[in-house]
Amino acid sequence: MSRAPAPHPVPVLLSALMVGLLLLPVFALLLEALTPALGRTLQSAAVRDALRVSALTTGAALAVTLALGTPVAYLLARRQFVGKGLFDALLDLPMVLPPVVAGVALLLAFGQGGLLGRPLEVAGVDLAFTPGAVVLAQVFTSAPFYVRAARAGFLAFDPDVEGAARVDGAGRWALFRRVTLPLAFPFLLEGAVLAWARSLGEFGATLLFAGSLQGETRTVPLAIYSAAESDLAPALALSALMVALAFGVLLTLRLIAGRRITPAQ
Amino acid sequence: MRRLSGPGLSFRRALLAALILVTAEAGAARLTVFAASSLTDALGEIGRVFDSRTGHQTRFSFAGSSSLRTQLERGARADVFASASLGQYAPLRSQGLAGPHTLFARNRLTVLTPAARPLIGGLAGLARPGLRLIVAGPGVPAGEATARTLSLMDASGNYGPEFTRRVRANVVSEEPNVRQVALKVGLGQADAAFVYRSDLTPGLRGKVRTYSLPDSVNPPVAYPIGVLKGSREAEAAAAFIRFVRSPEGQRILIRWGFLPAP
Repeated sequence: MSRAPAPHPVPVLLSALMVGLLLLPVFALLLEALTPALGRTLQSAAVRDALRVSALTTGAALAVTLALGTPVAYLLARRQFVGKGLFDALLDLPMVLPPVVAGVALLLAFGQGGLLGRPLEVAGVDLAFTPGAVVLAQVFTSAPFYVRAARAGFLAFDPDVEGAARVDGAGRWALFRRVTLPLAFPFLLEGAVLAWARSLGEFGATLLFAGSLQGETRTVPLAIYSAAESDLAPALALSALMVALAFGVLLTLRLIAGRRITPAQ
Repeated sequence: MRRLSGPGLSFRRALLAALILVTAEAGAARLTVFAASSLTDALGEIGRVFDSRTGHQTRFSFAGSSSLRTQLERGARADVFASASLGQYAPLRSQGLAGPHTLFARNRLTVLTPAARPLIGGLAGLARPGLRLIVAGPGVPAGEATARTLSLMDASGNYGPEFTRRVRANVVSEEPNVRQVALKVGLGQADAAFVYRSDLTPGLRGKVRTYSLPDSVNPPVAYPIGVLKGSREAEAAAAFIRFVRSPEGQRILIRWGFLPAP
């Protein structure tokens, strides 16, 4: 094989610029955050509360997303119905909506004075300023990532496989659990990881819809924001942690993608 | 109260602005003003009048004073800083980032509830269990003023035993700036809130009920303003501050619910 000619300096220079632009801020953040005091800061009450709130709410949001999003993705992949294209597109809306808009929309729908405010109040559901509101904001902004990936997963293999299993006498649930789910699994996992990462970073909608109280509704991004107002140290510590988590997410996605390409035979 | 934005007047003002734009001299400056979020309406209007008079272009960045201070400490460029408390201004001065300040307005707190859900038993009702109270966060000037007022109310003995503790137990959110607090009461999301009197904007007035706090538990907070050291338009910045302190600037501030400069 002949050696490729040396690249032109202009694209190399522009690429270096882009790479610098993308990586320098993260580098600067880590440079300032990674001090001997980091460990101690990570054990402060504000940081621990934020981590706990984030872990619980993103966990709950992921559970809701999986439970409600999987059937949606399956129906979208398998069934034809009137208006499916439009429905499909509308479900992606929260993905491209600015988070603050999502927050306003949630307030107007589920807030005390909102569209469903009165019925919810009658039903005894009180979301305002509760971790439940945080979960709702996270589901709203992150579920489409999962639905999209899961739908692609259900479309990634020949439905005849399901048909064959059905002929062999598999019941509906057994079919889904033994055949459909394993075949789509890498996609579902990827969607779940993406959705979780999105809800972990959720900020705008949460602040507007759920408020910000330490130990109740103040997730990691909200804690970073409120700490940045007085003492930057906890903000930096949490930011460094978020960088590490983001890196973990990317690594996981790489591993899943690798697994998806290898045929499972 | 006379509204200043009648159609005839705004047309005249637009014409004036256009004239000034056409005849503007080379001395027109672009000013960036960092200002506490409680100043959003008043300073916004002052800026528009100032621009139409001078041909300068004034831009604002409104946020909680403490956020703005953090941004300035981290190298944000601006010409003027108008803070809701000296506590957020003085550190910039001692770090050599800001020039001397002058006080240009004062403000007092007030309690808001949604119009349809008044406080049971007046202000003492703030301590009723289950009430959803929102306040500005502890690092924000409005939050500091709220804490001060609560302890004064407690000390007065007029609002029941352990007032501060019981009220604190009702806090469901500590917001990053005072306008967020007002917004959430306007939307009916919270049951009550401490905000500045100046946060009672025309858009909010019909949706909320206000409870005046006695002056004895509600000392006014003073707003400092000053030119930042990094300003490239120090002269125009000083002119802006003079205009804010002028009778006309003060009239606008008073119309938006502020008390005049001390």
